[in-house]
Amino acid sequence: MLGAMLMAAPLVWTLLLSLKANSELMRDSGTAFSAPYTLENYRAVLQGSSAFRWLLNSLIVSTGTMIGVLILCSLAGYGFARLEFPFRRTLFVFVLLGLAIPEQAVILPRHQLFAALHLHNSYPGLILPGLAGPFGVFFMTQYFRAIPRELDEAAMLDGASRLRIFWKVLLPLTLPAQATLGVFTFLAAWNDYWWPLISATRSERFTLTVGLASAQMNYAQTSGLGFLMAQAVFASLPILIVYLLFQKQIVRAIAGTSGR
Amino acid sequence: MASLELSNVRKAYGATPVLDDVSLTMAAREFVAFLGPSGSGKSTLLRIIAGLETADAGEVRLDGRRIDTLAPGDRGVAMVFQHYALYPHMSVRENMAFGLRNAGVPRQEIAARIDEAARVLEIETQLDKKPGQLSGGQRQRVAIGRAIVKQPRLFLLDEPLSNLDAALRTRTRVELAQLRQRVDAAVIMVTHDQAEAMTLADRIVVMHDRAIQQIGAPMEIYGRPANAFVARFVGSPAMTLAPVSLLADESAFAAVRLGEGARIETRVPRDGLAVGAPLELGVRPENVQVVETSGGVPEAKVELVERLGDRTFVYARLADGLSITAEDAGGSRVRIGDTIGLRIDGAAVHLFTPDGRARHAAAAAA
Ligand SMILES: Nc1ncnc2c1ncn2[C@@H]1O[C@H](COP(=O)(O)OP(=O)(O)OP(=O)(O)O)[C@@H](O)[C@H]1O
Ligand SMILES: [Mg+2]
Repeated sequence: MLGAMLMAAPLVWTLLLSLKANSELMRDSGTAFSAPYTLENYRAVLQGSSAFRWLLNSLIVSTGTMIGVLILCSLAGYGFARLEFPFRRTLFVFVLLGLAIPEQAVILPRHQLFAALHLHNSYPGLILPGLAGPFGVFFMTQYFRAIPRELDEAAMLDGASRLRIFWKVLLPLTLPAQATLGVFTFLAAWNDYWWPLISATRSERFTLTVGLASAQMNYAQTSGLGFLMAQAVFASLPILIVYLLFQKQIVRAIAGTSGR
Repeated sequence: MASLELSNVRKAYGATPVLDDVSLTMAAREFVAFLGPSGSGKSTLLRIIAGLETADAGEVRLDGRRIDTLAPGDRGVAMVFQHYALYPHMSVRENMAFGLRNAGVPRQEIAARIDEAARVLEIETQLDKKPGQLSGGQRQRVAIGRAIVKQPRLFLLDEPLSNLDAALRTRTRVELAQLRQRVDAAVIMVTHDQAEAMTLADRIVVMHDRAIQQIGAPMEIYGRPANAFVARFVGSPAMTLAPVSLLADESAFAAVRLGEGARIETRVPRDGLAVGAPLELGVRPENVQVVETSGGVPEAKVELVERLGDRTFVYARLADGLSITAEDAGGSRVRIGDTIGLRIDGAAVHLFTPDGRARHAAAAAA
């Protein structure tokens, strides 16, 4: 309970500040606890800043990353779990090794590579690095492996082609895993700061995280605290919606049960 | 016309041979049970027929058509898996329809077949449920239904009853027997429950040690086992096997002596058996009677008494240390530790030569 209050305090504080007129806050931020409240800051956010643009960018990048990861990891997971091909084990270990490589180690070469390919300040440039997810591959492989092979065999006897077995029998059974992986991928992409900071140098390609950070530096004096807080609340709305929609999956995933 | 024909099927996993030169011909609409201990290759053979494994050598034909080169779905076989393998995310109806859709069966025909199967299997009210909402017995029916609607030429059942509790198993066994009358197809059932094999099958294929040990009607397998393995494996409690020596005699039938000294006059023709050669005598519990101890009958000490109500099995040990199983009446007074006399029915014993091959009583030949 106390923990929950500690967690909630900054959020409440942010919300309160965002509802106060900047002029009042300049005198004393303690006034946040008393009326009058105003929606002035939100109006300013919606009209004046690039927050909408950044929000859209974040949505595009996060959704793109999520869809890409789900497709790639499902295919790779199925492949590793069900297909026989040379060096399968070796390749799988190789993928897992990717888990041990921190982003810091590759970010510089990646930056140079993307610069050479003219991918900076583009959506592909922001999405592509997020698609290389060893964890997702591992996760989906384990999930496919847990599905009894008898199901594949029953479907084979039912005359289904390999593609049809994947699409009609196995993939639907991985839906809980898809939801979990999808939510986490989306959130990770949404919250990512470092790569977009490097890759997106023009304001119209900023994601929300990068945009807000830049706003804090530029506007802190001019527009004031309330405006910033309103921006922050606005920025966290989509993520709040995702959490509310996928509460069950998130709780399950964190609790480590598949819920099947 | 022959239904299924296996000729010289071989299979090895790596360097481990699992099936050696297996051949089998099934009659049309025949029900055959594969019976054998764990690891004897029953499932492997079934899977080769289904196309889930490929044989290293040999041919599989169904109704005269070679099928081992075809994909599993094109072979005209349907399989009921041990754990049913129902598609968990599909309703019962969709489970049954899946194979038919893949085969391009018209929609109305699919619906008709499913309704018919559901009626026969009494699962009409379950059609829109998911497998997860069904009991084990109901799932089993759905699995059978999924096979039936395909109207295959051959049903393959891998231990279909092994996941059911005892009562349900007996009931389902009866239902399988009835069902079997309705379908115009041959059936192979894998089991290691001999009661199941005996009640359901027209013929039993006893498998062991990578090979078919014997193929025969249930009573033939029971009454005239081809070798010592089949003799011991089929029948419960198991047949007693005892080393004996052949006595010199003028008679046309072999007389043998047990280790503890008793002489037994068998009805097994003597020809070809060498005097003094080591032989094994096989006798089923029902042919060993518990009698009063008196001169002339072997005596044994009772080690275990199994009372089944209608009869009693007595596990005893002869003076020379040999374990022997006898049968007594339901109201038997025999208790552990008693010394009892045993009368072995010489007309019903089998002899096994050192290579394990069986010689049977001449009278039983009919
Ligand atoms: N995929 C496999 N790889 C290697 N060996 C296998 C494989 N499948 C089966 N075997 C081996 O082949 C032999 C026969 O197996 P099989 O499953 O056919 O036996 P079974 O008669 O069905 O036994 P059970 O009654 O236990 O089901 C066993 O020794 C088993 O270890
Ligand atoms: Mg088996």
